[in-house]
Amino acid sequence: MYNLIRKDIVMQKKTLWILLPIQLVYLSLNIGYVWIGFVFSIVIIMNAFSMDEKSSINTLLNSLPYTRKEMVSSKYIGVLVFTFIVISGLFIGNLILNQELMAWKEIMLIISLVMIVASFILPFSYQFKSQYLLIASIVLFVIYMVIINMIFHNLNEVIMNFVEKLLSLQTLSFYLITSGSILILFACSWLLSIRIFKNKVL
Amino acid sequence: MENVIELQNVNKSFGDFQLKNLTMTVKKGYITGLIGGNGVGKSTTIKLIMNLLQPDSGDISIFGLNYKGNEKEIKQRVGFVFDSNVFYEHLSLKEMVGIISRSYHYWDDGIFQAYVEKFELPLKKKLKTFSKGMMMKTSIAIALSHQAELIIMDEPTSGLDPIFRRELLEILHEIMEDGQKSIFFSTHITTDLDRIADYITFLHNGEHIFTKKSYQIEEEYALVKGGLDLLDPDTKQEFISIKTSPHGFEALTSNKGRVEEVFGSLVVMEKPTLEDIMFYTKKGTVTDV
Repeated sequence: MYNLIRKDIVMQKKTLWILLPIQLVYLSLNIGYVWIGFVFSIVIIMNAFSMDEKSSINTLLNSLPYTRKEMVSSKYIGVLVFTFIVISGLFIGNLILNQELMAWKEIMLIISLVMIVASFILPFSYQFKSQYLLIASIVLFVIYMVIINMIFHNLNEVIMNFVEKLLSLQTLSFYLITSGSILILFACSWLLSIRIFKNKVL
Repeated sequence: MENVIELQNVNKSFGDFQLKNLTMTVKKGYITGLIGGNGVGKSTTIKLIMNLLQPDSGDISIFGLNYKGNEKEIKQRVGFVFDSNVFYEHLSLKEMVGIISRSYHYWDDGIFQAYVEKFELPLKKKLKTFSKGMMMKTSIAIALSHQAELIIMDEPTSGLDPIFRRELLEILHEIMEDGQKSIFFSTHITTDLDRIADYITFLHNGEHIFTKKSYQIEEEYALVKGGLDLLDPDTKQEFISIKTSPHGFEALTSNKGRVEEVFGSLVVMEKPTLEDIMFYTKKGTVTDV
């Protein structure tokens, strides 16, 4: 399985070399790095995912001595590995450009966001195809807008306030509960993807 | 005799298509060809053997092992040969092999290099520029470099030019020399099989019609030609199917001896090609309906 993760990294090498300098540009524009870190991580993770999605590549991987479980697991471990790479890039870039250390809270926030979003889009992509993600997100966006316009006029603010409140909470129990729930969500998504992929007709 | 592949009462259906109670074996140390027309279940059978599909019921074992729990061990010992591009197109052959070779315990880079030279494969060119023949050679080189005991090929000879087809057959002969390896492949171009396969497995409409040694087919089957006056309800029984024209009939029998007894020298008997057998068997099942 280590080889599968290694394969993804090797194949994303070019993308990484292009994206990491772009990160620096964003950093110098003073865009919040939680946002940069989150977007870049998801882009790289989904890029690695979509490369293996073609049926011909499935045939190849399936003919190699790996189980389907390992193929799925390599993607989930890849989520963490790529996020780590992106954050390292940001950390170093920030140190050089702005001469400041990234706050550990922001690092944790990036990891949490990536894990939460990956927990939803990976099983979705295994069940359908990652190309439908765009359609799904447009649909979700429309639903969200309809809700805002029709029912909850201040939903945006409510969410913003909620997030801000969460971030301002400093208690240990809060951190434990949040990270615990994210880990459980991630693990459940992992198991679900294994289940979906196992029965998939390739 | 040891079996490298065993299918026991395998059923698989999707949509209109059904693989019915398929039981077949592939013997160790021999080349077995799977023949049948389009859409009779050849690819499905190969996919089941590759574990790309799971059977609805029945047992599949490779080297006497079940995929459940032994998937990695089985795949270490099997080489799959593809004629289409199953690789990452934007990688060069060298990069691709760098990824693949790490997956195998017994990868031998020396052997791989030797095949690359023999097949004149460009290591640094992107895989998307490879022709069908080159893809096939790449696939074979990879399969042989991890010391696979069983080589499985899906339609290897379709779409290849005649020169490379000959070359391929020679390569397969070489592989078989040590008597330890087995080859299983599917095809609908049957003239190649006449030359190389030790066993022929014939599939029709999702059903296993027969697995026979190549020479056995020659001994049992015959293409019979004679005048229309010889045909009556009784004599018609002797044939799998009959094609008639104003000048006479042509029919296939799977019991050459019996036809000789019945008609003696009134008919002409010819050696049927595999294509004849496929054609008449298909016709036979159609007229039965």
